[in-house]
Amino acid sequence: MTELPPHTESELIELVRSSEERAPDSLHRQVATLVASRRRRRLALHPPVLGAVAAAVVVVVALAVVLSDGGSSGPSLLQAAAPTLRAATLPAPPESSANHAQLATAVDGVPFPYWEDRFGWRSTGTRSDRIDGRTATTVFYSDASGRRIGYAILAGTPAPRIDGGVVAWRGGVPYRLLTANGAAVVTWLRDGRLCVVSGRGVSSATLLKLASWSDHDASAS
Amino acid sequence: MRTLDPQSLTQHVDRLYRAAWALCGSREDAEDLVQETFARVLARPRVLSGEHELYYLMRVLRNTFLTSRRTASRRPVTVATLDDIVAADPRPLGQPERALEMQEVYATIAALPEDRRLALVAVDVLGLSYREAARALRVREATITTRLFRARKEVARLLVAELAPEPPQIPVARREETRASGVLPSRETS
Repeated sequence: MTELPPHTESELIELVRSSEERAPDSLHRQVATLVASRRRRRLALHPPVLGAVAAAVVVVVALAVVLSDGGSSGPSLLQAAAPTLRAATLPAPPESSANHAQLATAVDGVPFPYWEDRFGWRSTGTRSDRIDGRTATTVFYSDASGRRIGYAILAGTPAPRIDGGVVAWRGGVPYRLLTANGAAVVTWLRDGRLCVVSGRGVSSATLLKLASWSDHDASAS
Repeated sequence: MRTLDPQSLTQHVDRLYRAAWALCGSREDAEDLVQETFARVLARPRVLSGEHELYYLMRVLRNTFLTSRRTASRRPVTVATLDDIVAADPRPLGQPERALEMQEVYATIAALPEDRRLALVAVDVLGLSYREAARALRVREATITTRLFRARKEVARLLVAELAPEPPQIPVARREETRASGVLPSRETS
């Protein structure tokens, strides 16, 4: 989306949903104080609660140890988004000769989109990381004004669950809009793989537009 | 059924603040409203029956907002002094034009009739589903759909109207020249 004020209802909705206005620090502090006082009151009113909490923790830890299969619940949002803000270590993949909406690189058969002709975002590099035992491949894109976006696809299924943020639906697909490491992040699934796009100085609406276009045109074709 | 964990509420402060801002139209009132909402929620243990926290918070926010409106309407009107007026938000803003834009959008939402405003805030600002919004606002889902449709249309229309360029102003001297040249009727003949 452009940084111009909204002119249509859909632009307005996008703008409102992608807003990241933060509450003042004073309000955060006030709420934290209210929460802390509530917890203190609860414990003061029910001293046996302390014992019960301790017992519950022991049970939960014991169950976790017994039931654990050695795996983890998957990487967090911060972990998944981190490579998108790092530097490229490999050259940019070329445009796919078979499909002009895609680049000639993919993760588990899920291709990266080609955005240059349509949106002016040119692929500039790639990197590969291991996150929580999975391979994360990231393709970086830049626009004419020098802004940069990282597009990561995490290999393997089931994809880790990402919570929080705001959900925006595009073409029947839920896209989650969040903020991580001070940058806007959009996450969603393509063929069961977790995809993450993020970029500093790039609005959530722009990320959402790019993410939802690539999902529709690059994987459906 | 589960008990609401007070600690988990802190993650919703920003979103609730944006919702409150769109309801009230001012940052200061929004701050008060969010604080009051959390104070109410945390006044005693709460049990949620399946719904998620944000839905519950929206319900309390709505009730708090409506109560505060009623209370304010009964209160004698006081005139603000210069000391009461906050000139600008002192926090540094990374994207001033975007902040200004959002301010305008929230102010426009706040000018909507109450029922439409609440529907838009619940769905578009807080991100609730139509069903959750309907339950939180105690109306039917179809009503939410209608109100939301009207609210979005109205806000988009108002924003476009505000941003429409004004007709070009012809300076007085130039207008006289134009009249003299016969393009505009002169005062004597009109």
